[in-house]
Amino acid sequence: MTLSREAYQVLEDIVGPKNITEEPATLDAYAFNFGNELFPPYANRFFIRPAAVLLPGSTEEVQAIVKACNRYRIKYKPFTTGWGYIGGVRMEDEIQLDLRRMDRILEIDEKNMFAVVEPYVMGGVLQAEVMKVGLNCNMPGAGAAVSPLANATSQWGHGPPTVYFGHNSEVLLGIEWVMPNGDILKTGSLGSGVGWFCGEGPGPSLRALIRGAIGAQGNLGVFTKAAVKLSPWPGPTELTVDGSPPAYRLSLPENFRVYTLTFPSWQAFADAARKIYDAEIGYICHRQWHKLGKDLAPAFFLMYNDPTKTLDDMEEMLKDPEVQRFTKEMSMPLPIVLAGQTPNDIGYQENVLDQILAETGGHKVARMSESDMEKFSLIYLIRWGHKNLNFVYAGGYVGSWHQYGTPDFNIRYAQVAEETLSKYQATGLLVKCGGDAMMGPIARMGGGGTFSLEQFTAFDPASKESVEAVVKYINESAVLSREHGFPSGFDEVLALRMKGSKGSQAYLDSLPDTRMYQWQWKIRQMLDPNGIGEASSYWTVKPKE
Amino acid sequence: MALEDYRGNMQRCTRCSYCKFVLWDHLKSWRFAKGCPSIGYHNFQSYSAGGRLSVALSLLDGRIDYTDAVIDIVYQCQLCGACDVACKICRYDMEPLETLRELRFRLVEDGQLLPEHMSVIDGLKKENTMVVGKVKEERGQWAEGLKLKDLTQEKAEVAFHAGCRLSYDEDLRKVTRTAVTLLKNAGVDIGIMGKDENCCGGRAYEMGYKGEFNKYAQNNIEAWTNAGVKTVVTSCADGYWAFKRLYPEVGSKFEILHTVEFVYRLVREGKLRFTKTIPKIVTYHDPCHLGRQGEPYVPWKGVEKRILGQMLVHEPKKPRYNGVFGVYDTPRYILHSIPGLDLVEMERIRENSWCCGAGGGVMETYHDLSSWTVNERIEEARVTGAEAIVTACPWCERNFIDAISSNGIEMKVYDIIELVQQAI
Repeated sequence: MTLSREAYQVLEDIVGPKNITEEPATLDAYAFNFGNELFPPYANRFFIRPAAVLLPGSTEEVQAIVKACNRYRIKYKPFTTGWGYIGGVRMEDEIQLDLRRMDRILEIDEKNMFAVVEPYVMGGVLQAEVMKVGLNCNMPGAGAAVSPLANATSQWGHGPPTVYFGHNSEVLLGIEWVMPNGDILKTGSLGSGVGWFCGEGPGPSLRALIRGAIGAQGNLGVFTKAAVKLSPWPGPTELTVDGSPPAYRLSLPENFRVYTLTFPSWQAFADAARKIYDAEIGYICHRQWHKLGKDLAPAFFLMYNDPTKTLDDMEEMLKDPEVQRFTKEMSMPLPIVLAGQTPNDIGYQENVLDQILAETGGHKVARMSESDMEKFSLIYLIRWGHKNLNFVYAGGYVGSWHQYGTPDFNIRYAQVAEETLSKYQATGLLVKCGGDAMMGPIARMGGGGTFSLEQFTAFDPASKESVEAVVKYINESAVLSREHGFPSGFDEVLALRMKGSKGSQAYLDSLPDTRMYQWQWKIRQMLDPNGIGEASSYWTVKPKE
Repeated sequence: MALEDYRGNMQRCTRCSYCKFVLWDHLKSWRFAKGCPSIGYHNFQSYSAGGRLSVALSLLDGRIDYTDAVIDIVYQCQLCGACDVACKICRYDMEPLETLRELRFRLVEDGQLLPEHMSVIDGLKKENTMVVGKVKEERGQWAEGLKLKDLTQEKAEVAFHAGCRLSYDEDLRKVTRTAVTLLKNAGVDIGIMGKDENCCGGRAYEMGYKGEFNKYAQNNIEAWTNAGVKTVVTSCADGYWAFKRLYPEVGSKFEILHTVEFVYRLVREGKLRFTKTIPKIVTYHDPCHLGRQGEPYVPWKGVEKRILGQMLVHEPKKPRYNGVFGVYDTPRYILHSIPGLDLVEMERIRENSWCCGAGGGVMETYHDLSSWTVNERIEEARVTGAEAIVTACPWCERNFIDAISSNGIEMKVYDIIELVQQAI
């Protein structure tokens, strides 16, 4: 598909010839993404090739593009880093807006603790800048290499420090939004012209409408600026790491502690998670290590911390009795960072944590508190710059389960998730890293310590058989989830996408209760009357007459 | 290896964007957060390592044909290797830098050439040098009056390889003269090939001309063997990389040392003492080919295999180049040893270093990209408060000197050997 020459010229006039292309080679670089291999009709990391790619540099340019798209009836899809299948265009004849030129931190308000950012400010970049003034940002769960603005406005929104900072949707303050019809709306206090400091007013508060629980994922206009709430950072103003790649190290400030806790059972784990939240301790608390699988993660992290070792050493390492003992001890791990605002505060948190461990039968893993692992854990958990280790085994990852709920609810589906993944790993078509490859932060949303567990599945995207096994696994997980009465998780969403656009719409239309999707249809009709925004993630069902 | 052998790398890239930024753990500011000059300048995804892997896969799959845009995407890259180090933070199965080089080999094989590179290669074939317009007969002029052994006639333990840039660049000749004099005065049995010295072939290799590289590598190995050489010393980081990392693939077994490594030995052994104070604030630029690409070569022949279902490993164990074992501490030790010299570091250093812009055939072809890249580095140096950039590669030095001169910036550029000379 090519754009009409008239439309292309209009778009080129907006961004300039250097910032628009319809060159097939570059378009293919945008068609390629991880996860695409799971979805019809292509089942390949190359999905739909955009009709053109544009690099707008300002809100004005974005607005002009969206208006032109409305005029010429061109669908568009904005993204920041474009990481993952959701970022790329999902429909034919669509253009891609790559927002990477909009990468400025516009303001850091130290006193009121917020930062105003453009879309392409990455989590790691914002963190480095705000730490200079004793603050920290809510790092997206997807890591330092993704956008806090995108995470807060459009895409899920939990992260490692959620226990301390809240969910990323909660840190969202004033927003500048180019709506699907091309109008600009400023939300929260920004809408009343009194600054960025509040998401809920005075002024229009549309946070629930624009993002809800998981975000519209680029399907409802373009968020061009946002203020995100910051939190106190009681650590150094600059992270000075040492050591060798890949596992750099950060020395522990006196007012910090970093531990990997471990528990004798899922129930003990859930009890501890709840107690940690209730006691209001912890700066970062995220069940991170097990994304690499219960059977391999401990050996992996020992290997990773030795620059002379690689995955080629894994088989040998797994035979080592000491590694086997360590793996057993780490069967139910929970990394936690405590950060004290004062010496008394860190002492208090330490005492409370010890009490929780005594009550739940947990303990601190000694090997993880040795200097090398302690320092590595600290930089990993704070900067979140090693997040993409979930691709380390073979280049393929997909998330499943991941339903929101209390820890007690989470551990109910965790056991089903573990059994299901183990069954598929046993076929040899997935990486056999252990059926518990679940990670998640304590406290996704405020007000109760809710939690979730995302089951990570490692596979080889270059192997057709491996990909097919993942598709089967996801579909079976979705069925099991429904059979057990669990609400929708990642697997349900993925299974829906795997039906293709027609199949997923037919499925949605057939659901017994479609009220949510009908509301989304009404919202879409109101905001996007020309149907120009992409509709691959913002699912709708047309209300019956 | 052929481009097809890297298909798995292309298919398994996850477009995570690590290849675009500095190492996340080392990131200190918004201003210097970029890691890849190419996408930093061009912005489209296809100008990142991940994007180029997609383009390569698209070519292999027949989704696209060669166009001017494809050629531009492939060659507008310094092959500095920042992407490689960043990618490997989370991946053991990826070799982005090797894949990008292999892509260039394929383009050259298929006749998809840049006119500017062809001019350079024509000059290489005729005059044995990558410096356009220079002639073979003048190659040895830099050593006039030094009374060095002529390795075409005599034997010596150590061969000093001046390299193309240092042989002909009159502003930089002092580097080679100083280096070789230091070594001679320290009692090293050293000689040179003079006008018969060949190009190392490294820069031709990076332009995609692997055949030319092989020819020069074999010629050099033969010449050194005939001269009884055991050790090759050079002041050129590009040459160092070629001799150390590429030549073993074609049979070289010589010990390879950069001048900084030799000077370091002399200082450590007490054979070289710094007696003069140099009251300067300087910053050190890690050349890509001495730093992250300067790791020792480890021979490997093996196959990929799967364990634990789908985990990808190698039999036998494959060496991992992730920048950690490059030459970083040696130049810093020398600089710290010079009385009065204050070394202040830039944000992006060691394996995380920002390229000077001169590599990969970019300096010869894409002046806008090369110029933008070097100016970014100069700005990074400037904000440290340093009055000079010190480095250990003549290609970096030439790019710094030209940029500083054309922009009227108050900043000196030194090869580390110049400071050594001033301090003794």
